Amino acid sequence: MRFVDEFRDADLAEVLGREITALCEPGRHYKVMEVCGGHTHTIYRYGVQDHLPESIELVHGPGCPVCVIPMGRVDDGIAIAERDGVILTCFGDMMRVPGGRGSFLEANARGADIRMVYSPLDALRIARQNPDRQVVFYAIGFETTAPSTALTVLRAAQEGVENFSVFCNHVTIIPAIKAILDSPDLRLDAFLGPGHVSTVIGCRPYEWIPRDFGLPLVCAGFEPLDLLQSVYMIMKQFAEGRAEVENQYGRVVQYDGNPVALKVLAEVFALRPFFEWRGLGSIAHSALQLAPAYARFDAEQRFDLPGVRVADPKACQCGEVLKGVLKPWECKVFGTACTPETPIGTCMVSSEGACAAYYNYGQYAKQRLTLEVLS
Amino acid sequence: MTGPACGTEPGCITCGDVALALTVLTVEGSDARCRADDGRTELVATELVGAVVPGDRVLVHAGVAIERLVRRES
Repeated sequence: MRFVDEFRDADLAEVLGREITALCEPGRHYKVMEVCGGHTHTIYRYGVQDHLPESIELVHGPGCPVCVIPMGRVDDGIAIAERDGVILTCFGDMMRVPGGRGSFLEANARGADIRMVYSPLDALRIARQNPDRQVVFYAIGFETTAPSTALTVLRAAQEGVENFSVFCNHVTIIPAIKAILDSPDLRLDAFLGPGHVSTVIGCRPYEWIPRDFGLPLVCAGFEPLDLLQSVYMIMKQFAEGRAEVENQYGRVVQYDGNPVALKVLAEVFALRPFFEWRGLGSIAHSALQLAPAYARFDAEQRFDLPGVRVADPKACQCGEVLKGVLKPWECKVFGTACTPETPIGTCMVSSEGACAAYYNYGQYAKQRLTLEVLS
Repeated sequence: MTGPACGTEPGCITCGDVALALTVLTVEGSDARCRADDGRTELVATELVGAVVPGDRVLVHAGVAIERLVRRES
């Protein structure tokens, strides 16, 4: 397939793996965090770690938007959906995320009308088709997805679709990276920057990471060779004594991002003072809400919500997994009580969640490794 | 659902920060009918990338083009 096969060439992966190994300083261990859940998925699906030397450890970060949704916000969505005359719409992975009162799928079984959409624009279309119903879009995602919600709100305003509103859970990546770097639990050496988030925000917002922390960051694409080349670029920085922001995903990402998308985001959204992230706790200025000019489309102002904080199940260690402190298989309930079919924690729900990605793909690599050791 | 469903790949392409490179077929006001490499088509909002013409390649996420891609072949 065009634009795909050339980034999945196994022979090239071998070559890159050897060149990366040659750049490693003997005796040094490197921890590289991929911030984006899409990267986590690629790493496990294509066995990217298998091409790296043991001294390079890929650590999974909090970049799966479903995984960082706290249970209380799921319950708020269900409370909206259970009102008479409401249609709640959301992305597919959100349907199975467990809240304190079950998931959206379970709420549907109790009689709620929660529909999966591919785009917030589909939610707006449903609102146009159902003028006697309140249609709410449950918005999640990082800066990649927030522009589509913003554009939808602008179209709703232009068209006067007043039965449409947004329950906004959009989060921003920079404060989450700051929270991770401030965490005493984890020592990192470098970051693989989120490629599609960077399509919108560009590379400049990461420049404080090498400046203040001395850590390289390379914005990376999503194919296996993209990730290997990005690790190579990081290792080359180490070898040359540099710490910089570099852009491996230049075929998509402009260094200054998409200025039109940034302008639309600035018009429609405002930063929340605080927002709770699953696993990372409350982080200042890390999430978006509708700006006052668009408050009439804000579901949090249109409906009374419980707004109750719900503690994660005690057995669940998603928090540690999201911070990269624990590997998925080190969680007490991984693969036993918690599976993609019956997820306890959010990391097992989305395929971009570290636990689900490892459950679906990574365990085979681990089995191969075990067999090699035994033989 | 007007676009590719969540589940064409394992997982949800929308919330997993996945974006697809599509080719513009026709322009329909603020939208463009676009085709994926596998032949699937979808209607894409193009306000965030400026005017497009048939043949342009755009990066699409959640039914919205978020970047224009440099063409590598005709």
